[in-house]
Amino acid sequence: MSELGNRALTRRRVLITGAAAGAALCSPAIVRAADNDIRIGFPVPLTGPYGTEAQDQVRCAQLAVDQFNAAGGLGGRKAVLLSRDDKLKPGEAATRAIELIEKDHADVIVGSLSASVQLAVNNVCKQRRVLYNSISQSDQITAMPDWSPYTFHEALTPHVTAGAVGRYAFPRFGKRVAFLSADYAYGHEMVAGFRAVGAPLGIDVVADISVPLGTTDFSTVLPRIAAAKPDILCICNFGRDQHVSIKQATDFGIKRTSRIVVPVLLYTARVAGGATAFDGVIGGTSYYWGIEKTVPSAKAFNDRYRAANGGRVPSDYGALGYGGVYAVLKAMKEAGTTATDKVIATLQDLHYDAYKGPQFYRPCDHQSVQSVFIIESKSKDMADQYDVFNVLATDPPNVDALMSCKAEGHA
Amino acid sequence: MDGAGSTVAVHAARPDLLAFATRHRATLAAVAVLVFPALLPFKAVAADVLVYGLFALGFNLVYGYLGLLSFGHAALFGGGAYACGIVFTRFGVPWWAAVGAGVAGGAVIAAVIGALAIRTRGIYFAMVTLALAQCVYYAAYEAEGWTGGENGLRGVDVSAITLGPWHVDFVNPLTRVYVIAAFVVVALFAVSRVLASPFGAAMEAVRENEARARACGFDVRATRWLAFVLSGAVCGLAGALHALTIGIVPVETLTYTTSGLVVMMTLLGGMGTYFGPFIGAAVFLLLENLVSLWTVHWQLVVGLAFIACVLFFPRGVWGTLLAGLRR
Repeated sequence: MSELGNRALTRRRVLITGAAAGAALCSPAIVRAADNDIRIGFPVPLTGPYGTEAQDQVRCAQLAVDQFNAAGGLGGRKAVLLSRDDKLKPGEAATRAIELIEKDHADVIVGSLSASVQLAVNNVCKQRRVLYNSISQSDQITAMPDWSPYTFHEALTPHVTAGAVGRYAFPRFGKRVAFLSADYAYGHEMVAGFRAVGAPLGIDVVADISVPLGTTDFSTVLPRIAAAKPDILCICNFGRDQHVSIKQATDFGIKRTSRIVVPVLLYTARVAGGATAFDGVIGGTSYYWGIEKTVPSAKAFNDRYRAANGGRVPSDYGALGYGGVYAVLKAMKEAGTTATDKVIATLQDLHYDAYKGPQFYRPCDHQSVQSVFIIESKSKDMADQYDVFNVLATDPPNVDALMSCKAEGHA
Repeated sequence: MDGAGSTVAVHAARPDLLAFATRHRATLAAVAVLVFPALLPFKAVAADVLVYGLFALGFNLVYGYLGLLSFGHAALFGGGAYACGIVFTRFGVPWWAAVGAGVAGGAVIAAVIGALAIRTRGIYFAMVTLALAQCVYYAAYEAEGWTGGENGLRGVDVSAITLGPWHVDFVNPLTRVYVIAAFVVVALFAVSRVLASPFGAAMEAVRENEARARACGFDVRATRWLAFVLSGAVCGLAGALHALTIGIVPVETLTYTTSGLVVMMTLLGGMGTYFGPFIGAAVFLLLENLVSLWTVHWQLVVGLAFIACVLFFPRGVWGTLLAGLRR
């Protein structure tokens, strides 16, 4: 008995020592900012289903920070990126954002990769009067009551994305449209965006089916869609759902009679899903590296990314991390200060070309007005493994494509 | 004092010390709760530890003291959070009344779930509570007009608190933690009082031997139901404080992973111990917070730590410590 007790005690000691050693080891690795640094809080879902995109966002945001520091910073003041894992949970993101503001004294928060998470971070920043630049899609963040003067939105909105894709697809491929969407905010907002742009074009909605987030078997809904004989099938979902549903629709033979259109065609989903399943799928994107042939800033950004990441190319959502941090740092440099009200005033008037051509923030809701690219997935004539899309059309920056300030509840 | 003498003195003093600590457990726990946030540099995590500690304390009433493993406590925590958030944002009631609504919300949901679930025990109780909690989750998910649905409820913003002549700034990190700590202290005293009452003894009697408890004249079903409702009130309070701390009510407060989290925290701290749940919450959240700053593979480290705890400290961190002191 006593022998057992002794052994347990030793083991416990080992565990305690191990834990203490672990704690000691992990502390110096944490990035700590010096007093004078410009601190950029960057909460993104490093773990979880969007981890791939989020890690690319960190890489891209770091590029913007390095570029700013290499150019001398803000009168010698360096910027530092404090990335945190929000685990794709709004509550966790709120806690991380509170901590970035209160403990790390972040001058600005950029980040998040889901509608609910960005609304949570926005709520925290709004209450504490800290500038927040969101880099993922949402219609609500730029509308009342969520919006505040501290809110900026670098990403596209579902309204703009679906609008651009709808304007391209509906006149070309037919008026009979079926919707297959994930049953949550993203899916609903995208469908609403397609319907808004489709109504004046005279589309006929022949089916509107939502399935729960994370559905893996679409065999029950695909026959219903096929029976409706749509010209266009709009699949409004994200990430893994997108690749699973497109693959099954392709196997089912939908492509023989209908065109598959998605609001956001993800680079990462296409790379994971493969050329055959995505062949001929059309969608919108905020960025595709291939625009570098015509856009000089994209070429410069891609080259910088390639140099830092062994020749790979940045993803669409990753590039938003770059754009979000770039715009804020540029505004700080032009304002000559990190004082929030001055930076906000500068950002409102800022015209910038970070990585995809000219952009600016609309004054009423701080939405970044920018181009949308219509892309098509290809399976032939690919120059290399990164060459996966053809750019079919470019919707130039256009305030009229946005939801009106009045509709968003701004005076 | 010299060596030999002091050892004897310590051995003699130990039972007295333990008896003293047990008698004044609520006071000692309250002191710990009040000192802890001052020591911790991360105030947001300190607030989380208090909130989740309180949640685990409420859960432990059912799990540790009543002996029923519930997998549906997220419904009570999230229900309290939503009740607080909805009356605050939609009806504009003062923050303290919203906290009251959170307590009531947790208790009412517990009364309904409890009435249906206490007929079962063991794995069936876990399954029934899980199923009913999922019903609450989907109800909140679909009722977008009230709860914000998938986007969560935003705007539970309390910036300043006025209590008679005092005005305090709730956005200030330290103030916020201490306002929460004040509620936690009240809950600690209330729970300690309940556990020390005849009803508390009845709970433990039901846990130890249901048939004998019934033979002794205890109403087993009523005892269980009432304990479940009490647990709901405590978890509802925790949920309401959570909503006020982060200013939003995310729908994740109602997911089954939140139910799992509280089981893990309670096991880590020590089930059936009075202060163990707080220790469990502190260990889990601090570990998660520190390791996730250091590596994206934090789940691996936290998982290994949890396995180590289950293997080497089956009574939990606090339970093992107490057992060591009693030996």
